[in-house]
Amino acid sequence: MPGKIINNSFDALVIGGGIAGGEAALNIANNGFKVLIIEKDLSIGGKMILLSKVFPTLDCSACITTPKVSEISRHPGITIFTGSEVKNIAKIKENSFEAEVVRNPRYVNVDDCTGCQLCEEACPVLVPDQYQYNLVGRKAAFIPHSIASPRAAAIDIENCTLCGACEKVCPAKCIDFTQETETYHLKIKTVVLATGFNLFDPLKIPRYGFGQFKNVITSMQMERQLAPTRPFSTILRPGDGKVPDKIAYVLCTGSRDATIGNPICSQICCMYSIKQAQLLMGALPMADVTIYYINIRSFGKGFEEFYDQAKGMGVNFIKGKIGKISETDKGNLILRYEDINENIVKETEHDMVVLSVGVLPNPENSSFFPNEQLKLDPFNFVYQTDCLASPALTSIHGVFVAGTASGPMDIPDSILSAGAASSEAISYLTQKK
Amino acid sequence: MTGKGTQSAKILVFSTEKISDPAIDMAGLLKLHYPPTVYTIAVPCSSSIKSAWILHAYEKGFDGVFIAADGSDCPYGESCTEKTGKIVSRTHEMMKQKDIEPARLRMAAICSVCSESFVKQMKSFNEYLLKNSNM
Amino acid sequence: MNKKLGVYICHCGGNISDYVDVEQVKKAIESEEGVFLAKTTMFACSDSSQKEMVEDIKKNELDGIVVASCSPKLHLLTFRAVAERANINKYNYVHANIREQSSWAHSDDKTGATEKAVFLVKAAISKARYAESLEPIKIKSKKAVAVIGGGVAGMRAAIELSDMGCPVTLIEREPFVGGRVSQFDILFTTYETGKDLVTRLYNNLLARNNISVYTGAEVIENSGSIGDFKLTIKITPRYIMDRCNEGRLQKAIDACPVEVPDPFNFNITNRKAIYHNFPSEYPHKPVIDIENCTRCGECEKICESVDFSQKEEIIDINVGSVLMATGFDPYTPKDGEFGFNQINNVVTLPQFKRILALSNEPLIYNTRAIKHIAYIYCVGSRQVEGENKYCSRYCCTSVIHASIMAKKKFGNIFNYHFNRGIRTYGKQEVLYNESLKSGDVYLQSYEDDPPVVTQQGNKIVVTVNDILTGKKQMAVEADLVVLVTGMVPRADNSVGSLFKLPKGRDNFFNEIHMKLRPVETVIDGITISGACQGPKNILESSNSALSAATKSFSYVSKGELELEPIVAEIDKNQCTWCGACAEACPFDAIKKIKDGDKEIAMVNNSVCKGCGMCLPVCPTDVINLIAYSNREIESMIDALAGS
Repeated sequence: MPGKIINNSFDALVIGGGIAGGEAALNIANNGFKVLIIEKDLSIGGKMILLSKVFPTLDCSACITTPKVSEISRHPGITIFTGSEVKNIAKIKENSFEAEVVRNPRYVNVDDCTGCQLCEEACPVLVPDQYQYNLVGRKAAFIPHSIASPRAAAIDIENCTLCGACEKVCPAKCIDFTQETETYHLKIKTVVLATGFNLFDPLKIPRYGFGQFKNVITSMQMERQLAPTRPFSTILRPGDGKVPDKIAYVLCTGSRDATIGNPICSQICCMYSIKQAQLLMGALPMADVTIYYINIRSFGKGFEEFYDQAKGMGVNFIKGKIGKISETDKGNLILRYEDINENIVKETEHDMVVLSVGVLPNPENSSFFPNEQLKLDPFNFVYQTDCLASPALTSIHGVFVAGTASGPMDIPDSILSAGAASSEAISYLTQKK
Repeated sequence: MTGKGTQSAKILVFSTEKISDPAIDMAGLLKLHYPPTVYTIAVPCSSSIKSAWILHAYEKGFDGVFIAADGSDCPYGESCTEKTGKIVSRTHEMMKQKDIEPARLRMAAICSVCSESFVKQMKSFNEYLLKNSNM
Repeated sequence: MNKKLGVYICHCGGNISDYVDVEQVKKAIESEEGVFLAKTTMFACSDSSQKEMVEDIKKNELDGIVVASCSPKLHLLTFRAVAERANINKYNYVHANIREQSSWAHSDDKTGATEKAVFLVKAAISKARYAESLEPIKIKSKKAVAVIGGGVAGMRAAIELSDMGCPVTLIEREPFVGGRVSQFDILFTTYETGKDLVTRLYNNLLARNNISVYTGAEVIENSGSIGDFKLTIKITPRYIMDRCNEGRLQKAIDACPVEVPDPFNFNITNRKAIYHNFPSEYPHKPVIDIENCTRCGECEKICESVDFSQKEEIIDINVGSVLMATGFDPYTPKDGEFGFNQINNVVTLPQFKRILALSNEPLIYNTRAIKHIAYIYCVGSRQVEGENKYCSRYCCTSVIHASIMAKKKFGNIFNYHFNRGIRTYGKQEVLYNESLKSGDVYLQSYEDDPPVVTQQGNKIVVTVNDILTGKKQMAVEADLVVLVTGMVPRADNSVGSLFKLPKGRDNFFNEIHMKLRPVETVIDGITISGACQGPKNILESSNSALSAATKSFSYVSKGELELEPIVAEIDKNQCTWCGACAEACPFDAIKKIKDGDKEIAMVNNSVCKGCGMCLPVCPTDVINLIAYSNREIESMIDALAGS
């Protein structure tokens, strides 16, 4: 029952409504505790709901996420605030926190919206669609994406011209420009940080030409092109809408690279790139897919077998770090790299390049607790104070960490980490009863 | 009968919910192909299959029936292999009486990851049925 | 009764509709008897589709629904919940699997896949027509969990269960708890030792009064099932009394004349027949290895705590759930694999760690001063020929960490890493960077061209065609060769067989679904955690142990469980008691009762597990399994046959 505040006190506050936050919230609520999820985005489901398929089983990501999301949003013990932010959390005494939460207006009454999309059609404003990672546009009155939860419209007030077209066509009369920001003061007993990660911004590596060469895209943009809720009906290169037939992946873009300030491995890029390569071979049977790598890290359950499967399907793997990318007048891209096998510098032309961008910490974590010291690790992920025996403990008693807020990890590991965080939270709440 | 113009035999598979059906699912997941005229009915345990059901399938036009048995992995007990075996031999007798070729009923233990073995079984059973029938 | 049914055919994004023409399926089934409405949907499992189904059921007063989508293992429960929310009995929901068993299995034949999907949906509709409304059977669930395995995962899970308020029995096969981690010295990333971590966890176990710990204990029998597992545990005696004089015991150990290879140190040292694992093993009490003891009586003479009269004990416990944390074995190389057991000073990674822990400066092994160490990676993992195709996940980080520790402890050491691509994933990368900076040499080869270990006179030489230097042949003279062995399932996995736990392609225990149900097994009430499920490091094991604890707790926390009402039903009017069904039942759920003046068979619903073994043995065919009745199965066969 998102949207309504029933009470001003909760047992657990879960910050972040992605797969880790959702899993933790479900576990805690299933044990009879009252949970509030704060999600800054307009939909819960995090990044996972936007993915195509997941490695190494090739289950469709939506098939796993949407029922979870649906279970979370229906759960009588869980309240969800989307489009909301945690301003600060103060420890008022042992086992008790006070949180200030701001709910930004959506300008749409979610309970009444039927998701008919007439407002979208009527809206004259076109801006880049962040849910499609800017591959296409969206309106200022819009539904975030087709499997969003809640699947309700929102008004992007920053870009809205207040023309009123949406209000006129809305059959449910649910658009309400008088909505205001609401501030809540909440009493809570425990906090789960499930704030997720940020993707590396490849503009920071100018020699790869992202933002300058149109046919250089990020792996998340490719993910959207492969997803069931994809923007186009097939894979297209953004420069000219041509179907690509020689695609390159540049692994470790923004990972294992001290020069851009991120020396660690992002743990997921090898595998998602191998997965995308397999999906591309299926979608474009004639295409040639090459993955340029330093080391292939297929370490998880079934991962090595998945890597072998990709090799068997004909995905090319070249050991070599890309030095520079340049563009031809046809919009193709020349990759300059050192081929480790042959020990020579080579140049190869591709018609589309996918940068396998890495995982960076979410900088918001440090802002939640102005009066407490939430310790971060050297890479600015949430520090795990007992990482071997109790990986969910943080430097603040009663605050637990779930998923990629504590470091890069894949979906199975995020879910187990959320299991650990919820387990600690349940014990904590049980002991303090 | 498939879209490729190649004929295939109509086979009814009795799978088991916890053991062989997951293997058949995994065959799909791994895109291991087998004839699309293979249909599965999942039951809790292969020792619960009645001869009458098998005979009913032949009567309704199935070319073959395959029991994807739990084997020694059966969660309900070790006697499963033996019990399923008895069902098969009993049914074979009944088939003889009804003039149905007993080889049209096969059984093999399919463990929860035996996807490849399942596919192999289906292909060979299909070939056998096509060769030995006047379809 | 003529039921009104709703049928939903899922695109599954494209997973189904790329191969199965879902519109054609819809057309083919919409005029089937009982079908009131038929729809296709992009994602049947999405929130909006579920809401739509609920509305459809309510608005049209449907009696049942069929969803044709993925495997029922994923979403049977999802759609049963939809039925319940629409106020119809959830057993009026029938699932048709047209993804794993049609679109994916026959992606090479779209016409065939579509035809098959039509038949599968028709069969589901037939079943739905006869489906009965059922109420779940409520059983008591014993609020107690057995944790099997006393390593870090098992101990961690036990502590958490205890903190949630659940009594725990921890069962460890070895005489001491701590598992593999007790054999490790300094741990990455915290730099506490394995001993520290085990000590910490063990003290936590002891501090809780609702945990019973049994060491030297094995589960030898299991009867019962979720909510009510009855386990029989065999406890091997230590032959040492509870209260004992430590000083005398040490003298008794010294006096023992028997020496056998010490498995705790992976046989690089020997121990006595009366022994400790290390000076602070837990429980803190030595044990007599009765198989190797010669009964010479030397120890008894010195120490009055030795007690050979102790007898094996058998105890029975009753728990609602079982949590498996049985761990892994390190891979043991075959004789001659990279010189193992044939060339001196070729050891495995676990042996190397024990050597480092036990040695004082300078590092000497087999009388040889160790200065140059060659590490050969992926031994027993990522095999081209062998069975172990998987990556063991922990070994790259573990060996790099050990090699750094060797340098730190012994100074003048040169490390050569013969690897197949370093996999220090995530933050572990810093360790690899540290190793590179300290001057360690990394040589890489592919799986088809592994390094070779040879003995040349007194020298051990490792050669490789190093791809990092253009496949130049490189040779390193090493004083010690460390085979970086991976994780394999426990050699003695009898406890897994006892519970009938299914294994995955890698032979580790298998979860139901890696992302949806990562710690549950197909055996209801049994969860898995730690490395018995597949290679994991300590952090990952703890995460999975805590997740499994929550899941196991959920089975027992309410003291009651709802079970599927899928049980056998005997038509008492027609039964003439012959006893065949009672004999066939593996659960002893069928009893002879008096019904008026005749004897008939009667099923005990809370004991019946719904396996159906009694069905085919009934000479008069009067037993039906609910939801699998003759009527349902035969109507499905009719639908599949197209008649």
